[in-house]
Amino acid sequence: MNAATHRIADWEHGIHYATPEPLYGGGRENPPRHSALRAGKQCYDAPKVFRNMRPIRIASLLLAAAIPAVAHHSFAAEFDDKNPVQVTGVVTKVEWQNPHIWFYVDVTDSAGNKTNWAFSGGAPGQLMRRGILRDSIRPGMKIRVEGFRAKDGSNNASGGRVTFEDGRKVFTASAEDKLPGSEGGKK
Amino acid sequence: MRVYSASLAVLLAAAASLHAQKPDFSGIYEWPQAVDGEHGKGSATIFDRKYFAPLKPGGEKFIEPPTGDARHDEPRDFCMPAGFPGGMLSANAVRLVQNGSYLVIYHEFQNVTRMVPLDGRPHRQGLEPMYYGDPVGHWEGKTLVIETTNFKRWSLDDYFYTDPKESRMHSDAMRAIERISRKDAATLSYDLTIDDPKIFTRPWTQKFEMKAKPEWEQMGIFEYVCEENNRCPGGKCSK
Repeated sequence: MNAATHRIADWEHGIHYATPEPLYGGGRENPPRHSALRAGKQCYDAPKVFRNMRPIRIASLLLAAAIPAVAHHSFAAEFDDKNPVQVTGVVTKVEWQNPHIWFYVDVTDSAGNKTNWAFSGGAPGQLMRRGILRDSIRPGMKIRVEGFRAKDGSNNASGGRVTFEDGRKVFTASAEDKLPGSEGGKK
Repeated sequence: MRVYSASLAVLLAAAASLHAQKPDFSGIYEWPQAVDGEHGKGSATIFDRKYFAPLKPGGEKFIEPPTGDARHDEPRDFCMPAGFPGGMLSANAVRLVQNGSYLVIYHEFQNVTRMVPLDGRPHRQGLEPMYYGDPVGHWEGKTLVIETTNFKRWSLDDYFYTDPKESRMHSDAMRAIERISRKDAATLSYDLTIDDPKIFTRPWTQKFEMKAKPEWEQMGIFEYVCEENNRCPGGKCSK
């Protein structure tokens, strides 16, 4: 069982991490696997209007408290803050639409069973002004997502924090979304 | 005759000069952010209660507890309008477009457009109450004053995000006065006065600022169609 499935198994048993750790134990020390994700360089062949934007940086984490975000909905109206979710899996689809982006993640448990989870983020315009662009999260990427499950108990959740394979973390949430392990930061 | 013509020319030049002296607020800005005081837990701005005038008897309905019906408690979750002033204070980009006749306030959140006539016309009459009301503007020196009336009863601000136990609701008698002036090259002063005689004993004002964001100019304002993918209204997800 590798590290990722360990975490999935832990999650399946209701164990949640208050403090996220880098995937694969790499963190910032390990070079990013994808050149497109290297901090300080252009992420990808972005449309011209976005080429002067800074790509996602580790600083996003530190700036989280000051990040502006859209307030389309009340977190409390849609998600259950007593039901935190943390999964590691492979992105299958991204819906870059209003009022909130949604991204879908295939999670494979230790028995090989796949479950597709959907995570809600901020509005596209808000995320783009943070430097998170429409293909910053792409199908095929392995990511860890933390959030809170939808009130209806379905496999939908808020997706407040995304950790990439190289350990970088970005906040995809709306400002009103609660983030696991960050009490005192957001609601 | 020649003297009259010369005088007319001088007057016209003076009038043109006066018009030219009006500041042009056109540009992209951050939403109005409170200069000081209480801040909401979401990044949208809320009013600080220390600025509120005392409530009138009967004004207690200003604070509305949740009913458990998400459509009532948080209508934006169903893509209903944020309304004014709450929508104006929402944490999204704002574009101002100004000419001699209008100031157009285009707020990215819910793609709200407010057309403010500047030609001295009175408020329209006989309209249904509206989420964003009926604005008219005039100049007081270099300050643009916008008076808006004819509102529906609706949320005052984003306070529900800070305390989901209550919403702050203005009445249909609210009159809002926005005073916009240039503080410096990169900042607009935005003073917002709430005059709601069904709730408060007198008008009250809170000061905000709007930061110019020329670096957003290239990417511009984005489309915002709330209904496009509102997957979990009221916590009930569609798929």
